[in-house]
Amino acid sequence: MTATHHDTPAEHYPRRFEPPPGTLRSTLFGPNLVRGVWMAALFFGLGTLLVLGLRWWWGWDPVWHTEVVLAVAAMTAAPIGFLAGIGSFDYWLHYFVGRPTEPEDHSGHGARSWKDYFRVNTDHKVIGVQYLVTTFFFFTVGGLMAMFFRAELAKPGLQFVDSQTFNGLVSTHATLMIFLFIIPAFAGLANFAVPLMLGAPDMAFPRLNALSFWLLPIAGVMFVASFLAPGGAFGAGWTGYAPLAEGQPMGQTFFNMGVQWAGASSIMTALNFLVTIITMRAPGMTFWRMPLLVWANFTTSLLVVIATPFIAGSQFFVMFDRILHTDFFTPEGGGYVLGYQHIFWFYSHPAVYIMMLPGFGIVSEVIATMSRKPIFGYRLMALSLIGILVLGFSVWAHHMFVAGMADWLRVPMMITTLLIAVPTGIKVFSWTATLWRGRIHLNTPMLFALGFVTMFVIGGLSGIYLGSVPIDIHASDTYFIVAHIHYVLFGGSVFTIFAGVYYWFPKMTGRMYDERLGKIHFWLTFVTFNATFFPMHYVGLRGMPRRVFDYKEAFGDLNFFITIASFGLGASFILFVYNIVTSWTRGPIAESNPWRAQTLEWQVTSPPPIFNFDEIPQVVAGPYEYGVPGARHAVMSPAKEGVQEPEEVHA
Amino acid sequence: MPVAKGIVQLVAIGLVIAAALTAVAVLFKWLPTSASEELDRIAAIYWFVTIISIAIFSLVSAVVVFSVWKWRVSEDDDRDGPPIHGHTGLEILWTAVPAILVTAIGIVSAVVLARNADAGSNALEVEAIGQQFAWKFVYEGDDDNPTGELVLPVNRSTRFTMSSVDVIHSFWVPNFGQKMDAVPGIETEIVVTPDRMGEFEVVCTELCGLGHATMRARARVVSEADFEAWLEELRA
Repeated sequence: MTATHHDTPAEHYPRRFEPPPGTLRSTLFGPNLVRGVWMAALFFGLGTLLVLGLRWWWGWDPVWHTEVVLAVAAMTAAPIGFLAGIGSFDYWLHYFVGRPTEPEDHSGHGARSWKDYFRVNTDHKVIGVQYLVTTFFFFTVGGLMAMFFRAELAKPGLQFVDSQTFNGLVSTHATLMIFLFIIPAFAGLANFAVPLMLGAPDMAFPRLNALSFWLLPIAGVMFVASFLAPGGAFGAGWTGYAPLAEGQPMGQTFFNMGVQWAGASSIMTALNFLVTIITMRAPGMTFWRMPLLVWANFTTSLLVVIATPFIAGSQFFVMFDRILHTDFFTPEGGGYVLGYQHIFWFYSHPAVYIMMLPGFGIVSEVIATMSRKPIFGYRLMALSLIGILVLGFSVWAHHMFVAGMADWLRVPMMITTLLIAVPTGIKVFSWTATLWRGRIHLNTPMLFALGFVTMFVIGGLSGIYLGSVPIDIHASDTYFIVAHIHYVLFGGSVFTIFAGVYYWFPKMTGRMYDERLGKIHFWLTFVTFNATFFPMHYVGLRGMPRRVFDYKEAFGDLNFFITIASFGLGASFILFVYNIVTSWTRGPIAESNPWRAQTLEWQVTSPPPIFNFDEIPQVVAGPYEYGVPGARHAVMSPAKEGVQEPEEVHA
Repeated sequence: MPVAKGIVQLVAIGLVIAAALTAVAVLFKWLPTSASEELDRIAAIYWFVTIISIAIFSLVSAVVVFSVWKWRVSEDDDRDGPPIHGHTGLEILWTAVPAILVTAIGIVSAVVLARNADAGSNALEVEAIGQQFAWKFVYEGDDDNPTGELVLPVNRSTRFTMSSVDVIHSFWVPNFGQKMDAVPGIETEIVVTPDRMGEFEVVCTELCGLGHATMRARARVVSEADFEAWLEELRA
């Protein structure tokens, strides 16, 4: 599947799996969203009948049990029906039932109109865009929830919502930001960039890649829909600690199941990245010549594959306790409450690195390119990723210093936690050394990258405070924690996502964003971000616990200030959306390599050809040979400017 | 650019940032007024880590600001920087120095942790029981007289044994600096040695349901004599 396919114009591929387009029959029975909707409804009905039938057969009373019906029919069967309906399984089912194997005709590949973004598409570039648009949608939803509860927190006492809704808003905000924004937004950027950087025509498993994406909106809809559940949304925090989660209203089951779909999506994507990176590198692309973004996604994928099954397990156990009446975490039945936290954090601490390492990769690309210098200490940069990967699995219990776990575990976990500062420090110092004597282009991606470096240092240093057990005992479960995670995940991850989106925007869309608006967006975000989250360190240490709708009068003024600042932060995002939407539709046509970067994705047209490379590149050197006379990362013909029209996009 | 002049400018930027941060650290009172020996010790590590943090943040941000100030070029500049690929000495240095610093923080923390967990031989034993959404305290030998108000003698260690009857709660008095979850099914422990008399607030810090934000209790630290009198009254 390389250059040969590209010789035939994509429009000539027959669409074997679809009835002739435009007819009623094709609308109803072709693989599309219409079939997805009716098949979801059909599967929901079948799931409901299964539950009712079994309960009736065993003589259980009552036959109708809303939570069980929802868990089986709405959250398991209906999504499978939806996926089958949109055609995720068509090719595989064809194979399973023993029909002659269809040769891959690539009819599902590439986007020729905006409609191609709303179907199962096997093109990694289309999937990357699908991921990013979907994740930014949920970023908006999660952000609006934050605006809502910040309004509630503007002064002490209850203003707008009741206690369960407040807890639900806080929990859903965190859940969406983690599972529907940061993790998959990185997966989207990497989906677009990694195969191109490797010199590969696509990911190793394009159909699996398409399936991974479509699992994501299912999870997102589940989390948001929990607000409609009887009793309200899940209110036990994104951490969903048992036994509180086990006594929550039905919304909790939406969380338990949503995590399964989001987790499955992560795992499949990670496997796909691993196989792609291991097997699909262009000739000459040794591990030590891979761009650091590829290294970052390699280590991230290892973390995902090893750790994610643990959170899936923890949520299944809680759901089983809730609806099957098992006793994993109920002490009355012999369950062990702390068991939940151990299993949960065995995923959720590595998850912090899942949400950080891809950002490290993005920032390495941006800083090297915009400083016009090789990345400082390339090998140590890659090795420090491995160091974080290994250490990352041995620190989970630092979330449990006050949880009442075995005392002896505290000091070893403190040591490993503090040691993570070493590889992280190597990365920060190497980025600053890359700047040193460079020729710095201070454009929007670079501003976000440098904003990241400084803000992430603050998040890392507050992590040192929390790593020290005695300080953690004072500070844990306070607003200090809220400040810390937002410096790591917003000042850290979100800044790198913005950097990545601006950096690859011309490559993805073939158009250039508005540089002036981009810079204003950065400065507004930077200032309001600090105004929002820095004071939280203070109120936390002074005695304000997190996840409360009410607090002492003494914290009123600062909380009011934080709320106003957070509205500014929310408003700054509007600028980003405006810039992206208008630039995508009407922006100036971008050059194939506006940043004069050396990595492979910039050596093809913007947007890239449908199978990426007309000829397979031969990699001859490292990816950041800036300033080395005559040095090249790869040998290939230069991009043919103007061959490819920018994709038609309707945002 | 003369190297010496550049270094002086870089150091100057770093010192300005460090001075500003030090002002922020000193002028605001970041920790609550300490009312326990444990929080005094925590404050000592807090300041130790703060000094290191200010130094590291000032260093990194000074290099970033200085580099952008000195080496920023216009968008149409198409030259590259010098091809510096690395420097083994520097890389060893910035691996070793943070390793030493965090080891030092680790040792200090481990020592403080051990001392903060040591109740001595004359500790007052108190059970703290969490229940949605109130605290109940039971004094040693007074199982029949639970109280919702926590009264502690000054300058004597109290060992809390914690449990919960429903979900996880967490016991925290900000002025004591000590915190521990009350977990259903197991018993947990924490030691507090109050060294200042006054009234404080017991705060639940683990999300425990609808009334989590309102799960508060009063803690009073009194003289040993007042404490004995209060205990007598409780028993009566």
